[in-house]
Amino acid sequence: MVNVIHEAEFGQVKACAAAVVDFSATWCGPCKMLAPVLEKISEEMKGKVDFFKADVDENPNLARQFAIQSIPALIFLKNGEEVGREIGFKPEAAVKSALQRVFD
Amino acid sequence: MSRYDIAVIGTGPAGLEAALTAKARNKSVLLIGSAELSPKVAKAHMIRNYLGLPNVSGGEMQAAFLRQMEAAGIKITDERVKNVYAMGDYFVLQTGEIDSMLEAETLILATGLPLSRNLPGEDRFLGRGVSYCATCDGALYRGKRTAVIGYAPKEEDEADFLSELAAEVLYFPQYTGEVRTAPAVKVIPEKPVEILGGESARVLKTDGGEYEVDGIFILRDNIAPDKLVPGLELDGTRVKVTPQMETNIPGCFAAGDIAGPPYQYIKAAGQGNVAALAAVDYLAAKRKE
Repeated sequence: MVNVIHEAEFGQVKACAAAVVDFSATWCGPCKMLAPVLEKISEEMKGKVDFFKADVDENPNLARQFAIQSIPALIFLKNGEEVGREIGFKPEAAVKSALQRVFD
Repeated sequence: MSRYDIAVIGTGPAGLEAALTAKARNKSVLLIGSAELSPKVAKAHMIRNYLGLPNVSGGEMQAAFLRQMEAAGIKITDERVKNVYAMGDYFVLQTGEIDSMLEAETLILATGLPLSRNLPGEDRFLGRGVSYCATCDGALYRGKRTAVIGYAPKEEDEADFLSELAAEVLYFPQYTGEVRTAPAVKVIPEKPVEILGGESARVLKTDGGEYEVDGIFILRDNIAPDKLVPGLELDGTRVKVTPQMETNIPGCFAAGDIAGPPYQYIKAAGQGNVAALAAVDYLAAKRKE
Protein backbone atom coordinates (compact mmCIF):
# COMPACT_ATOMS: atom_id res chain seq x y z
CA MET A 1 0.00 0.00 0.00
CA VAL A 2 1.17 3.54 -0.78
CA ASN A 3 0.38 5.91 2.08
CA VAL A 4 -0.53 9.52 1.31
CA ILE A 5 1.71 11.74 3.38
CA HIS A 6 1.56 15.41 4.32
CA GLU A 7 4.67 17.46 5.04
CA ALA A 8 3.71 17.94 8.69
CA GLU A 9 3.90 14.17 9.20
CA PHE A 10 7.18 13.64 7.38
CA GLY A 11 8.89 12.45 10.59
CA GLN A 12 6.98 9.22 10.03
CA VAL A 13 8.87 8.68 6.77
CA LYS A 14 12.21 9.56 8.32
CA ALA A 15 11.66 6.90 10.97
CA CYS A 16 11.46 4.13 8.34
CA ALA A 17 14.54 2.00 7.75
CA ALA A 18 13.72 1.91 4.03
CA ALA A 19 11.22 4.22 2.37
CA VAL A 20 10.15 5.45 -1.05
CA VAL A 21 8.39 8.79 -1.48
CA ASP A 22 6.53 9.40 -4.73
CA PHE A 23 6.31 13.14 -5.43
CA SER A 24 3.42 13.66 -7.81
CA ALA A 25 0.38 15.80 -8.68
CA THR A 26 -3.17 15.32 -9.87
CA TRP A 27 -2.49 17.13 -13.17
CA CYS A 28 0.50 15.00 -14.12
CA GLY A 29 -0.04 12.19 -16.65
CA PRO A 30 3.09 10.13 -15.95
CA CYS A 31 2.28 10.30 -12.20
CA LYS A 32 -1.17 8.87 -12.84
CA MET A 33 0.38 6.00 -14.80
CA LEU A 34 3.10 5.30 -12.24
CA ALA A 35 0.65 5.10 -9.32
CA PRO A 36 -0.73 1.58 -10.06
CA VAL A 37 2.81 0.31 -10.74
CA LEU A 38 3.96 1.54 -7.31
CA GLU A 39 0.85 0.18 -5.63
CA LYS A 40 1.67 -3.27 -7.01
CA ILE A 41 5.36 -3.13 -6.07
CA SER A 42 4.53 -1.87 -2.57
CA GLU A 43 2.46 -5.00 -1.96
CA GLU A 44 5.32 -7.21 -3.14
CA MET A 45 7.83 -5.41 -0.91
CA LYS A 46 5.58 -5.23 2.13
CA GLY A 47 7.55 -5.34 5.38
CA LYS A 48 10.76 -4.48 3.58
CA VAL A 49 10.21 -1.02 2.12
CA ASP A 50 7.50 1.51 3.08
CA PHE A 51 5.87 3.51 0.28
CA PHE A 52 4.54 7.06 0.53
CA LYS A 53 3.02 9.57 -1.85
CA ALA A 54 3.32 13.36 -1.51
CA ASP A 55 1.34 15.81 -3.66
CA VAL A 56 3.69 18.64 -4.70
CA ASP A 57 0.87 21.22 -4.72
CA GLU A 58 -0.19 20.35 -1.19
CA ASN A 59 3.37 20.01 0.09
CA PRO A 60 5.37 22.84 -1.49
CA ASN A 61 7.90 23.04 1.35
CA LEU A 62 8.68 19.35 1.18
CA ALA A 63 9.01 19.54 -2.61
CA ARG A 64 11.41 22.47 -2.23
CA GLN A 65 13.39 20.64 0.46
CA PHE A 66 13.95 17.75 -1.96
CA ALA A 67 14.50 20.13 -4.93
CA ILE A 68 11.76 18.48 -7.00
CA GLN A 69 11.85 19.90 -10.56
CA SER A 70 10.12 17.19 -12.52
CA ILE A 71 7.46 14.71 -11.51
CA PRO A 72 6.88 11.92 -10.84
CA ALA A 73 10.03 11.79 -8.73
CA LEU A 74 10.73 8.78 -6.55
CA ILE A 75 13.00 9.53 -3.60
CA PHE A 76 14.64 6.54 -1.89
CA LEU A 77 15.45 6.99 1.80
CA LYS A 78 17.36 4.90 4.29
CA ASN A 79 16.75 5.98 7.90
CA GLY A 80 15.57 9.36 6.66
CA GLU A 81 18.58 10.00 4.43
CA GLU A 82 18.18 10.21 0.66
CA VAL A 83 20.14 7.43 -1.01
CA GLY A 84 18.84 7.78 -4.55
CA ARG A 85 16.11 9.07 -6.83
CA GLU A 86 14.37 8.13 -10.06
CA ILE A 87 12.64 10.71 -12.21
CA GLY A 88 9.77 10.12 -14.62
CA PHE A 89 7.58 7.13 -15.39
CA LYS A 90 9.33 3.76 -15.48
CA PRO A 91 7.84 0.35 -16.21
CA GLU A 92 7.51 -2.11 -13.32
CA ALA A 93 10.73 -4.02 -14.12
CA ALA A 94 12.77 -0.79 -14.21
CA VAL A 95 11.36 0.51 -10.90
CA LYS A 96 12.07 -2.85 -9.27
CA SER A 97 15.66 -2.98 -10.45
CA ALA A 98 16.21 0.61 -9.22
CA LEU A 99 14.83 -0.41 -5.82
CA GLN A 100 17.03 -3.48 -5.70
CA ARG A 101 20.13 -1.44 -6.48
CA VAL A 102 19.42 0.81 -3.51
CA PHE A 103 17.89 -1.47 -0.91
CA ASP A 104 19.37 -4.94 -1.49
CA MET B 1 -12.17 3.66 -23.27
CA SER B 2 -11.68 0.87 -25.79
CA ARG B 3 -8.31 -0.84 -26.00
CA TYR B 4 -6.86 -1.42 -29.47
CA ASP B 5 -5.15 -4.70 -30.35
CA ILE B 6 -2.23 -2.91 -31.96
CA ALA B 7 -1.08 0.72 -31.84
CA VAL B 8 1.32 1.84 -34.55
CA ILE B 9 3.20 5.10 -34.05
CA GLY B 10 4.57 6.62 -37.23
CA THR B 11 3.26 7.02 -40.77
CA GLY B 12 6.35 6.30 -42.86
CA PRO B 13 6.67 3.06 -44.88
CA ALA B 14 7.29 0.94 -41.73
CA GLY B 15 4.24 2.22 -39.85
CA LEU B 16 1.92 2.09 -42.86
CA GLU B 17 2.90 -1.49 -43.76
CA ALA B 18 2.53 -2.56 -40.12
CA ALA B 19 -0.98 -1.11 -40.01
CA LEU B 20 -1.88 -2.71 -43.34
CA THR B 21 -0.67 -6.15 -42.22
CA ALA B 22 -2.37 -5.89 -38.83
CA LYS B 23 -5.64 -4.88 -40.50
CA ALA B 24 -5.34 -7.79 -42.95
CA ARG B 25 -5.05 -10.07 -39.91
CA ASN B 26 -8.29 -8.63 -38.61
CA LYS B 27 -6.84 -6.74 -35.65
CA SER B 28 -8.13 -3.41 -34.40
CA VAL B 29 -5.44 -0.90 -35.29
CA LEU B 30 -4.66 2.59 -34.04
CA LEU B 31 -2.37 4.26 -36.58
CA ILE B 32 -1.10 7.49 -35.13
CA GLY B 33 1.21 10.07 -36.68
CA SER B 34 1.20 12.79 -39.29
CA ALA B 35 -1.60 12.51 -41.90
CA GLU B 36 0.89 14.08 -44.31
CA LEU B 37 3.03 10.95 -43.84
CA SER B 38 6.80 11.11 -43.69
CA PRO B 39 8.47 14.43 -44.58
CA LYS B 40 11.60 12.44 -45.42
CA VAL B 41 9.76 10.40 -48.07
CA ALA B 42 8.00 13.51 -49.41
CA LYS B 43 11.35 15.19 -50.06
CA ALA B 44 12.88 12.21 -51.88
CA HIS B 45 13.69 13.20 -55.46
CA MET B 46 13.58 9.75 -57.03
CA ILE B 47 13.25 6.26 -55.60
CA ARG B 48 14.53 3.52 -57.88
CA ASN B 49 14.55 0.35 -55.82
CA TYR B 50 11.06 0.04 -54.35
CA LEU B 51 9.49 -3.14 -55.71
CA GLY B 52 6.31 -2.46 -57.70
CA LEU B 53 6.77 1.31 -57.80
CA PRO B 54 9.65 1.89 -60.22
CA ASN B 55 11.23 5.35 -60.55
CA VAL B 56 8.76 7.33 -58.50
CA SER B 57 9.28 10.61 -56.71
CA GLY B 58 8.69 10.74 -52.96
CA GLY B 59 5.45 12.63 -53.60
CA GLU B 60 4.13 9.98 -56.00
CA MET B 61 5.07 7.24 -53.57
CA GLN B 62 3.18 8.97 -50.74
CA ALA B 63 0.12 9.35 -52.97
CA ALA B 64 0.23 5.61 -53.75
CA PHE B 65 0.57 4.83 -50.03
CA LEU B 66 -2.43 7.00 -49.17
CA ARG B 67 -4.61 5.39 -51.84
CA GLN B 68 -3.75 1.96 -50.48
CA MET B 69 -4.51 2.97 -46.88
CA GLU B 70 -7.83 4.42 -47.95
CA ALA B 71 -8.73 1.29 -49.91
CA ALA B 72 -7.90 -0.82 -46.83
CA GLY B 73 -10.09 1.41 -44.67
CA ILE B 74 -7.26 2.49 -42.40
CA LYS B 75 -7.56 5.94 -40.87
CA ILE B 76 -4.63 7.98 -39.61
CA THR B 77 -5.08 9.59 -36.22
CA ASP B 78 -3.21 12.83 -36.83
CA GLU B 79 -1.71 13.48 -33.43
CA ARG B 80 1.65 13.56 -31.76
CA VAL B 81 2.35 11.00 -29.04
CA LYS B 82 4.07 12.73 -26.13
CA ASN B 83 4.62 9.74 -23.88
CA VAL B 84 4.08 6.00 -23.89
CA TYR B 85 3.62 4.08 -20.66
CA ALA B 86 4.33 0.35 -20.55
CA MET B 87 1.78 -0.81 -17.99
CA GLY B 88 2.70 -4.50 -18.07
CA ASP B 89 0.12 -6.16 -20.29
CA TYR B 90 -0.93 -3.03 -22.18
CA PHE B 91 0.33 0.38 -23.27
CA VAL B 92 -1.01 3.86 -22.68
CA LEU B 93 -0.29 6.57 -25.27
CA GLN B 94 -0.55 10.14 -24.06
CA THR B 95 -1.21 12.59 -26.88
CA GLY B 96 -1.84 15.80 -25.01
CA GLU B 97 -3.08 16.74 -21.58
CA ILE B 98 -3.76 14.25 -18.83
CA ASP B 99 -7.14 13.20 -20.22
CA SER B 100 -5.97 12.37 -23.76
CA MET B 101 -4.88 8.80 -23.24
CA LEU B 102 -5.25 5.94 -25.72
CA GLU B 103 -4.75 2.28 -24.89
CA ALA B 104 -3.46 -0.69 -26.87
CA GLU B 105 -2.38 -4.22 -26.03
CA THR B 106 0.67 -4.10 -28.28
CA LEU B 107 2.77 -1.29 -29.68
CA ILE B 108 4.77 -0.90 -32.87
CA LEU B 109 7.25 1.99 -32.92
CA ALA B 110 7.95 3.30 -36.41
CA THR B 111 8.85 6.92 -35.74
CA GLY B 112 11.96 7.07 -37.89
CA LEU B 113 15.31 8.56 -37.02
CA PRO B 114 15.59 11.30 -34.44
CA LEU B 115 16.48 14.29 -36.59
CA SER B 116 18.37 16.48 -34.18
CA ARG B 117 21.05 15.55 -31.74
CA ASN B 118 20.83 16.20 -28.04
CA LEU B 119 22.41 19.35 -26.67
CA PRO B 120 25.45 18.89 -24.45
CA GLY B 121 24.12 18.76 -20.88
CA GLU B 122 20.59 17.78 -21.97
CA ASP B 123 20.70 14.18 -20.75
CA ARG B 124 22.48 15.07 -17.54
CA PHE B 125 19.89 17.66 -16.53
CA LEU B 126 16.75 15.92 -17.81
CA GLY B 127 14.34 16.04 -14.88
CA ARG B 128 16.72 18.41 -13.12
CA GLY B 129 15.69 21.62 -14.83
CA VAL B 130 15.36 20.21 -18.34
CA SER B 131 11.94 19.07 -19.53
CA TYR B 132 10.39 17.93 -22.80
CA CYS B 133 6.81 18.91 -21.99
CA ALA B 134 5.63 22.37 -20.95
CA THR B 135 2.07 21.24 -20.29
CA CYS B 136 3.38 18.40 -18.04
CA ASP B 137 6.00 20.17 -15.92
CA GLY B 138 5.01 23.81 -16.42
CA ALA B 139 3.25 24.08 -13.06
CA LEU B 140 6.55 23.35 -11.28
CA TYR B 141 7.98 26.56 -12.76
CA ARG B 142 5.32 28.92 -11.46
CA GLY B 143 6.95 32.32 -10.91
CA LYS B 144 10.28 31.09 -12.29
CA ARG B 145 12.45 32.11 -15.22
CA THR B 146 12.29 29.64 -18.10
CA ALA B 147 13.71 29.09 -21.56
CA VAL B 148 11.82 27.27 -24.33
CA ILE B 149 13.66 25.86 -27.33
CA GLY B 150 11.13 25.23 -30.07
CA TYR B 151 11.94 23.21 -33.18
CA ALA B 152 8.62 23.88 -34.96
CA PRO B 153 6.10 26.75 -35.05
CA LYS B 154 3.51 24.67 -33.16
CA GLU B 155 5.70 24.89 -30.04
CA GLU B 156 4.76 28.56 -29.81
CA ASP B 157 1.53 27.42 -28.14
CA GLU B 158 3.55 25.66 -25.42
CA ALA B 159 5.58 28.84 -24.85
CA ASP B 160 2.34 30.83 -24.59
CA PHE B 161 0.93 28.31 -22.11
CA LEU B 162 4.08 28.56 -20.00
CA SER B 163 3.97 32.35 -20.03
CA GLU B 164 0.74 32.17 -18.03
CA LEU B 165 2.60 30.41 -15.18
CA ALA B 166 6.27 31.37 -15.31
CA ALA B 167 7.67 34.78 -14.38
CA GLU B 168 9.55 34.92 -17.66
CA VAL B 169 9.63 32.87 -20.85
CA LEU B 170 12.54 33.21 -23.26
CA TYR B 171 11.69 31.56 -26.57
CA PHE B 172 14.44 30.30 -28.88
CA PRO B 173 12.88 29.39 -32.25
CA GLN B 174 14.98 26.84 -34.17
CA TYR B 175 13.20 27.30 -37.49
CA THR B 176 12.84 30.00 -40.11
CA GLY B 177 9.73 32.07 -40.67
CA GLU B 178 7.58 34.33 -38.59
CA VAL B 179 7.30 33.72 -34.85
CA ARG B 180 3.93 34.51 -33.27
CA THR B 181 3.91 34.23 -29.52
CA ALA B 182 2.04 35.92 -26.69
CA PRO B 183 3.34 39.40 -25.74
CA ALA B 184 4.77 38.03 -22.47
CA VAL B 185 7.10 35.67 -24.37
CA LYS B 186 10.49 37.12 -25.21
CA VAL B 187 11.71 35.78 -28.57
CA ILE B 188 15.47 35.33 -28.92
CA PRO B 189 16.57 34.07 -32.36
CA GLU B 190 19.75 32.32 -31.25
CA LYS B 191 21.01 28.76 -31.46
CA PRO B 192 21.48 26.90 -28.16
CA VAL B 193 24.85 25.20 -27.82
CA GLU B 194 25.00 23.87 -24.26
CA ILE B 195 23.21 23.55 -20.95
CA LEU B 196 25.27 24.33 -17.87
CA GLY B 197 24.60 23.94 -14.17
CA GLY B 198 25.49 22.19 -10.96
CA GLU B 199 22.88 20.03 -9.19
CA SER B 200 20.36 21.30 -11.72
CA ALA B 201 20.38 23.24 -14.97
CA ARG B 202 21.06 26.96 -14.45
CA VAL B 203 22.34 28.42 -17.70
CA LEU B 204 21.43 28.09 -21.35
CA LYS B 205 24.41 28.94 -23.49
CA THR B 206 23.72 30.01 -27.09
CA ASP B 207 25.77 31.26 -30.00
CA GLY B 208 24.80 34.75 -28.87
CA GLY B 209 25.14 34.70 -25.09
CA GLU B 210 24.34 33.01 -21.79
CA TYR B 211 20.93 33.02 -20.13
CA GLU B 212 20.41 32.26 -16.47
CA VAL B 213 17.17 30.31 -16.02
CA ASP B 214 15.44 27.92 -13.61
CA GLY B 215 14.08 25.61 -16.28
CA ILE B 216 14.71 24.75 -19.92
CA PHE B 217 12.02 23.19 -22.10
CA ILE B 218 13.25 21.45 -25.24
CA LEU B 219 10.40 20.82 -27.67
CA ARG B 220 11.23 18.63 -30.66
CA ASP B 221 9.06 16.72 -33.07
CA ASN B 222 11.00 13.56 -32.70
CA ILE B 223 12.33 12.73 -29.25
CA ALA B 224 14.74 9.89 -28.50
CA PRO B 225 12.92 6.51 -28.43
CA ASP B 226 13.88 5.77 -24.82
CA LYS B 227 12.44 9.13 -23.77
CA LEU B 228 9.21 8.43 -25.64
CA VAL B 229 8.94 4.95 -24.13
CA PRO B 230 10.69 4.90 -20.74
CA GLY B 231 12.40 1.57 -20.11
CA LEU B 232 13.12 0.89 -23.79
CA GLU B 233 16.58 -0.50 -24.44
CA LEU B 234 18.73 1.11 -27.11
CA ASP B 235 21.85 0.02 -28.95
CA GLY B 236 23.58 3.33 -29.55
CA THR B 237 20.80 5.54 -30.92
CA ARG B 238 18.73 2.74 -32.49
CA VAL B 239 16.17 0.60 -30.70
CA LYS B 240 17.53 -2.83 -29.89
CA VAL B 241 15.43 -5.46 -31.69
CA THR B 242 15.38 -9.19 -32.34
CA PRO B 243 14.94 -10.55 -35.90
CA GLN B 244 11.19 -10.61 -35.06
CA MET B 245 11.40 -6.86 -34.33
CA GLU B 246 10.76 -7.41 -30.62
CA THR B 247 12.17 -4.83 -28.20
CA ASN B 248 13.16 -5.53 -24.58
CA ILE B 249 9.60 -4.59 -23.47
CA PRO B 250 7.14 -7.48 -23.99
CA GLY B 251 4.47 -6.52 -26.51
CA CYS B 252 6.51 -3.62 -27.90
CA PHE B 253 8.02 -3.89 -31.37
CA ALA B 254 10.03 -1.49 -33.54
CA ALA B 255 10.41 -1.20 -37.32
CA GLY B 256 12.05 1.00 -39.91
CA ASP B 257 14.82 3.55 -39.43
CA ILE B 258 14.27 3.59 -35.66
CA ALA B 259 15.57 -0.02 -35.62
CA GLY B 260 18.81 0.93 -37.39
CA PRO B 261 20.39 0.93 -40.86
CA PRO B 262 20.17 0.37 -43.76
CA TYR B 263 17.83 3.35 -44.15
CA GLN B 264 15.83 2.06 -47.08
CA TYR B 265 12.08 2.40 -47.72
CA ILE B 266 11.62 -1.21 -48.80
CA LYS B 267 13.48 -2.49 -45.74
CA ALA B 268 11.33 -0.26 -43.49
CA ALA B 269 8.14 -1.64 -45.05
CA GLY B 270 9.44 -5.20 -44.68
CA GLN B 271 10.20 -4.67 -41.02
CA GLY B 272 6.75 -3.15 -40.51
CA ASN B 273 5.28 -6.34 -41.91
CA VAL B 274 7.42 -8.54 -39.61
CA ALA B 275 6.59 -6.40 -36.56
CA ALA B 276 2.84 -6.61 -37.23
CA LEU B 277 2.95 -10.39 -37.63
CA ALA B 278 5.01 -10.71 -34.45
CA ALA B 279 2.44 -8.56 -32.63
CA VAL B 280 -0.35 -10.81 -33.96
CA ASP B 281 1.51 -13.88 -32.63
CA TYR B 282 2.09 -12.17 -29.30
CA LEU B 283 -1.64 -11.42 -28.98
CA ALA B 284 -2.57 -15.00 -29.87
CA ALA B 285 -0.15 -16.43 -27.27
CA LYS B 286 -1.41 -14.01 -24.62
CA ARG B 287 -5.06 -14.86 -25.21
CA LYS B 288 -4.33 -18.57 -24.95
CA GLU B 289 -2.99 -18.12 -21.41
